[in-house]
Amino acid sequence: MLPDGTIVAADLWKRFRADPSRQSLRARASNVKRHMRGRGRRGWRWALQDVDVRIEPGESIGLVGINGSGKSTLLKILARVMYPYAGNVDVVGRTGALIEVRAGIHPELTGRENIHLYGTLLGLPRRMVASRFDEIVEFAQLEDAVDRQVKFYSSGMQMRLGFGVAAFLEPDVLLVDEVLAVGDTGFQQRCIDRMRAMLSEGTTVVFVSHDLASVESISERALWLHGGKVQEDGPVRDVLAAYRQALEHVSELTADNDGIVQLVKARVVASEGDLLRTEEPADVTLVLRSSQPAAGRVCIGCSEGPASPIFLLRHDIHLPDDGEVEAHCHIEHLPLPRGRYFLWVGVFLARGELLGWQPAAHFDVAGPDLDMGPPGIGRLSPVHVAASWQVGER
Amino acid sequence: MEAVEGPPAELLFHRPVRPIVMLRELWSRRELILVLVERELRARYKQTRIGFAWALVTPFVMMVVFTVFFKRVADVKTFGIPYPLYSYVGLLAWTFFSGALSKGAVSITQNLTLLNKVYCPREVFPISSVATAGVDTLIATVILGVLFVVYWFAPAATSYWVPLLFLVQLAFTVGLTMFLAGLIVYVRDIRQVLPMLLQLGLFATPVGYGLEVIPESWWPVYSALNPLAPIIDGYRRCVLFGLPPRLDLVAIAAVSSAVILVAGYLSFKRMETGFADVA
Repeated sequence: MLPDGTIVAADLWKRFRADPSRQSLRARASNVKRHMRGRGRRGWRWALQDVDVRIEPGESIGLVGINGSGKSTLLKILARVMYPYAGNVDVVGRTGALIEVRAGIHPELTGRENIHLYGTLLGLPRRMVASRFDEIVEFAQLEDAVDRQVKFYSSGMQMRLGFGVAAFLEPDVLLVDEVLAVGDTGFQQRCIDRMRAMLSEGTTVVFVSHDLASVESISERALWLHGGKVQEDGPVRDVLAAYRQALEHVSELTADNDGIVQLVKARVVASEGDLLRTEEPADVTLVLRSSQPAAGRVCIGCSEGPASPIFLLRHDIHLPDDGEVEAHCHIEHLPLPRGRYFLWVGVFLARGELLGWQPAAHFDVAGPDLDMGPPGIGRLSPVHVAASWQVGER
Repeated sequence: MEAVEGPPAELLFHRPVRPIVMLRELWSRRELILVLVERELRARYKQTRIGFAWALVTPFVMMVVFTVFFKRVADVKTFGIPYPLYSYVGLLAWTFFSGALSKGAVSITQNLTLLNKVYCPREVFPISSVATAGVDTLIATVILGVLFVVYWFAPAATSYWVPLLFLVQLAFTVGLTMFLAGLIVYVRDIRQVLPMLLQLGLFATPVGYGLEVIPESWWPVYSALNPLAPIIDGYRRCVLFGLPPRLDLVAIAAVSSAVILVAGYLSFKRMETGFADVA
């Protein structure tokens, strides 16, 4: 018998009707007719293909992947709401799921009734729901609204109630789909804190999000799904780095390069030696071609992915009529720890742009890894700071 | 993603149908059924003026209509029993059946959004609809009491047969409700047809008239196809006439109901695996 909180999913396959609207008898009849004539193969679309995951109790795992990659389907199968087409799933213990905003929330009932209903759906005795009731109301900041029908709640309130209920009724496994986006920043932070608290109590957390920073801050491990297959599964940093790089690849292809100003060359090199190193000088070289004279501002940025840049630098620039300009930027101390990064370039006017903000090159930095902080905190910090410590008794 | 081979056949997911495990799980969720019944009753009667009295209105109006139609126009034989009392016993049983079926059959489709988010054994929804109809019927029994007083008629001592008859009726009702609840998720058209079928069923069942209207040689087949017929006949015989039910017909109905219950439950569990896919 596996301990509570274990998730074992082996060889999962899931398919959907390519055209799910066939529900009337008439459509079915015509379908059967076509089928008998040997035409009309039924259209299926694979949502998951041979997915294997094993998650131990107390582990936190982030699911990442582009839209339609199968994240939500996998989560629904783990929540036992959906059944796989092939393979096996075993989720041991009680599952609290927050799938789609307003999970487990019934609009006609009041907040109070919803909390009780959801608790009973999870299979909890009434006494236990009653004992956690105040905590949930306080966490969700509902106050007087508990006795109002949920359909009159704002979407933020519904989300808070849903999360509060799922997170406070002590599940062994917490499944959270992209929901934090609705809450305000303060609430997002409290959700993340709550998830961490649950992790430290031994709850297994499976977390789906497009916000890679929050995935990084909660999860130790990440699973990257692409086209219904597991692309990569491992420590969160490695998987996210690979995922970011793949995203970069996509955005590189879409980068628009036929405006007034064109980027001819972009390069980041070490000022001395051939490897870029943490805390050592680096040179950025850009070559821009313009078709008409203009005065603007060139911006360069550095990021780990399409997310917000780690730092930005900018400088005024004059572009000639039909010619090329070379710009150099010398960075004295590169503040990046070891890893792969992207150089972003754009040329802007006071209003409007001459060259759209786009990833132009990637580069690797050699150097020390960042010090790892306590779970969920250290990974959010991307900057390397040179420091020395002295610790002694006093 | 076309031309994907798909998984090897031996990996295909087959949900094991183990009745004992399923019943045990259902039993562990009995509290959930209570909460759902309470929710349903609350939601239905909370915002109405006369509240629970609504459960009395439908069977009462039906009785009045039946009295005018069957008694005055068709002159149904009641063997000395006042017609309102005679028909109301049948209507009470019918109210339970049709109330359970009409609510239970759509219980899954109505709760799909909820079902898409939380796991629970899905049969709690149709079962709680049946239980809700049971509460309504219990309330409607008040009118039966009033009729007994009005006509100064005491229920016969043989009424002890009622629980057994009800058990057969319950099996039939639960089985049929579960089957339809699952099927409607896939074939929504049934939802439109159901009220009409229930109307027809009311006239195809001896509710407003007696079993005697049907030729006696048809009774066994009729009882197998419509188990409600010997059941309602049995209610009348034991409550009003002081006679035992026609046990041979009730036995046929019981076998037929048991088959429907088992088949309905198993087919529901089979259909259950796809509910979330069509939602």
